[in-house]
Amino acid sequence: MGGAASYRLVPRSADEVVFRLEGLAITAAMFLDMARTLANELPDGRFVVNLCNDRLDFAVGLAAALMRNQVNLLTSDRSPERLRSLQKRYPDVYSLSDDPALTSPLRHYHHCAQPPRPSSLQLENPQIAAGRLAAIVFTSGSTGVPMAHEKSWGALVERSVDAAARFDMTQSEPANIVGMVPPQHMYGFETTVLLPLHVPASAWCGPAFYPEDVASALHAVPAPRVLVTTPLQIRALLQAWAELAPLERVISATAPLFADMATAAEERWNTRVFEIFGATEVGSIASRRTVEGDIWTNYPRVRLTEDAVVNGPFAVPHALSDVVEMLDGRHFRLLGRRADLVKLAGRRASLAELNRILTGITGVLDGQFVVPADLDRRPTARLLAFVVAPERSAHEIMADLRGQIDPPFLPRRVIRVDELPRNDVGKLTEQALGALRSSLNEA
Amino acid sequence: MTADTHATTEYEVAQLLVDALHLEMTAEEIQPEEPLFGEGLGLDSIDALEIALAISRTYGFELRSEEGRTHQVFASLRNLTRYIETHRTK
Repeated sequence: MGGAASYRLVPRSADEVVFRLEGLAITAAMFLDMARTLANELPDGRFVVNLCNDRLDFAVGLAAALMRNQVNLLTSDRSPERLRSLQKRYPDVYSLSDDPALTSPLRHYHHCAQPPRPSSLQLENPQIAAGRLAAIVFTSGSTGVPMAHEKSWGALVERSVDAAARFDMTQSEPANIVGMVPPQHMYGFETTVLLPLHVPASAWCGPAFYPEDVASALHAVPAPRVLVTTPLQIRALLQAWAELAPLERVISATAPLFADMATAAEERWNTRVFEIFGATEVGSIASRRTVEGDIWTNYPRVRLTEDAVVNGPFAVPHALSDVVEMLDGRHFRLLGRRADLVKLAGRRASLAELNRILTGITGVLDGQFVVPADLDRRPTARLLAFVVAPERSAHEIMADLRGQIDPPFLPRRVIRVDELPRNDVGKLTEQALGALRSSLNEA
Repeated sequence: MTADTHATTEYEVAQLLVDALHLEMTAEEIQPEEPLFGEGLGLDSIDALEIALAISRTYGFELRSEEGRTHQVFASLRNLTRYIETHRTK
């Protein structure tokens, strides 16, 4: 375990660059000043849902909330339904966003960080106890209630330190990160918000969505450059014409990266491609260089027990939902994931839960979500839903599903049928559903 | 835009969406004023990336995030068609 009982909010020198925008480098001192300014304005409350889209707005919001002793709630699902369910659990919660168009059912505060003028700099860099609850990250539960995963400040800081050691981010050569993943996602939160706050690294806060954005962003930051991305985005970058500035490293997560794509990326950009393995519950815990094989190496101070329980400094022990084969204390191989889990756009949902929502809709007598077999390989693959709903149209059912289901999991098509081919014990086999689908295609 | 390029039609862009995203609907079924994301067609950010790739292949220009503009471009089939018409190079 790390010895320190507390850590500074931003344990970096005042003039070190933590975030970058086109033509602007935000130093630790400037960042702390922006956070203090916002902290003075934030509403009272113990919990804040940080919905900011812009990475800098998000990070300033995070730090300001910590200065005010508030806990940051991070959710990728920003449906009114999800926000209301958070309110049930945390009655005094308010939402923070930089999007003027956002309508939140919660008490709401709008903010848009303005870089400070150097003359007004105030340097307040509070010590935060390692055990203090800093953030709660949510996953969809199987019962309809979002599952909360608590992150102590110490666990977040120590994991950043581990990642910096793994990816060679050093004082003499700070990494400049361009991230394509949102800050509310655990992977994006760790790599593009926490790393620059805690270790020698900066993160790009300008646009980085389209291949052309990423090319401009990489040109705008100094070497060594690190691209934090996902398999689908690597695929898009490889297909685009954009020339990328020299890349020290590419880091991918959220879904398996296929070796042929990793090889193509390494050759095209003359770089090394790594994957991070992790989960919302435990954060990043291991990495591998994809072209070297399928064996994962734990982060330096992460330990996995024989039954795949993850332990790390100040972190709550947690059993992985993936099936792993332990090779030794430091290495493992992934064998698969639980059948009920669906992963899309870096988010997870439980099929049982999706089916529960579907069959809970007025007029839906029976229903079942179907996962296409090539979900991991085809970027445009989405779920389908079969419903028995004689009184309601597919359009009406879709309308009811919106607001209850995280958008990537909305069915691309709702197919109405007379009945579902359930067997004697009420189960729907893959075979029966497959037969149903092909009968529809022929019709 | 070269002299022999015809004007971009909503039908043609709708067909590009259907093909690029493997939508299980026909181009005619996409309403010109209906939102493409969220309400309406219900597309998501991965779809946006796929659409961007298809646009660059077909029309020869790359989409970029512009302050506040991205939402507007993808607001509807009509807006997207207009955007393509003013930016296409082939």
